[in-house]
Amino acid sequence: MTMAASNRSTPGSQAAPVTAVRTLWALTGFSMALLLCFAAAGLLDNRGFQGANVWLKPAKFALSFVVLYATLAWVVERLSAAVSEGRTMKVTLAAMVLATWTEMAYIAGRAGRGLASHFAVGTPLEAMLYALMGVGAVTLVAGIGVIGWLAGRDRHAALGPSLQAGVRLGFMVSALATLVTAGVLSSNGGHFVGMPSSGAAVIPGLGWSAEVGDLRPAHFLALHAMQVLPLLGWWLDRQGRPSTVALRASAATYVVITAAVFGQALMGWPLVRL
Amino acid sequence: MDWSPLFSLINGLALAGWVVLLLAPRRWTVLGWAPRWVIPGVIAVIYVALMGAYVADAGGGFGSIAEVRVLFMSDPVLVAGWGHYLAFDLLIGVMLADRLDRVGVTRWLQVPVLLMTFMFGPAGWLLGMATEAAARWRTRGGNTLAA
Repeated sequence: MTMAASNRSTPGSQAAPVTAVRTLWALTGFSMALLLCFAAAGLLDNRGFQGANVWLKPAKFALSFVVLYATLAWVVERLSAAVSEGRTMKVTLAAMVLATWTEMAYIAGRAGRGLASHFAVGTPLEAMLYALMGVGAVTLVAGIGVIGWLAGRDRHAALGPSLQAGVRLGFMVSALATLVTAGVLSSNGGHFVGMPSSGAAVIPGLGWSAEVGDLRPAHFLALHAMQVLPLLGWWLDRQGRPSTVALRASAATYVVITAAVFGQALMGWPLVRL
Repeated sequence: MDWSPLFSLINGLALAGWVVLLLAPRRWTVLGWAPRWVIPGVIAVIYVALMGAYVADAGGGFGSIAEVRVLFMSDPVLVAGWGHYLAFDLLIGVMLADRLDRVGVTRWLQVPVLLMTFMFGPAGWLLGMATEAAARWRTRGGNTLAA
């Protein structure tokens, strides 16, 4: 009977409700599978783009989404149901889901054809798609900020005081600093400030220039405030020394460091010279 | 004989099935029969008829690239083989959609999984199963950790 029931084609009859936590873990698994696909493609594909395998960039983005959504899921599953199943969260997640897969489809689709995805404005269609991806990217970044704001004011969240402060500040710093660094990056027309000579040194594994200014390290630091500051808060709580003041000071320091790395790149200096 | 009309017919049928799976509300169960039963059924009948009538004369076989190439030199067998692809990809899409509904994966995230299954079969299946596994992870009833 149960077998028959589960095989009946009455779709939706046994559907579990869509929850924020399920959506976020589902996105994590989805991104992991994408990472696996891009890694497999990269192993077989020997086409290069600006000196790196064409699949490196889609793989980096997929990995970045794995880290992003695992972080969000880990936080959101500690929020009260009123917040995690509230309207603001639902709308935010729907927008982030849409932005995530359209962004990945665009980047992977362009990479598969050996074409640039960022700074590709050769034709009106390309310019429009690139602009739309900008909208998607801003949606994702704003989503991080909204979730940080929601988590920060949830009084019934299962988060220690420093962790909650870390989430609130980390997600906000992440959103705002990414808007600034990525905004400048996208209007710069390329990663570099200065002209790297061909075959110039890069930082191993990351591909950032070790010869001229490269705006990506600052973008990286900005984005990962949302892991660094919550982890610091979690550690302080665990040490039995919760302190929101320490978190605020750390957030300010983090912003200063990110700004310094950003300023260094804008002046055309590499992060490290190799 | 020109097999293009039949080829276009099964292409159109499969596409219609995918549109239902991607966009139609799940509570419209009768419409849901299209990708589940009607379209695979019609393609199956066409497939059986084509294979029954033409596969013996086509030559070739399944054991090597050369044999398969010979087999697919026959247009009716090629149309049958294409129907095989379309019907089975659609049925995998049905399975994934039902499984993802069951664990509460939002339709917004089912779209890329189903599109990938439509375009690149196994890649979509991989994405769908990873998505399902991750959605099950730590979420049996709802938010399990919240106070």
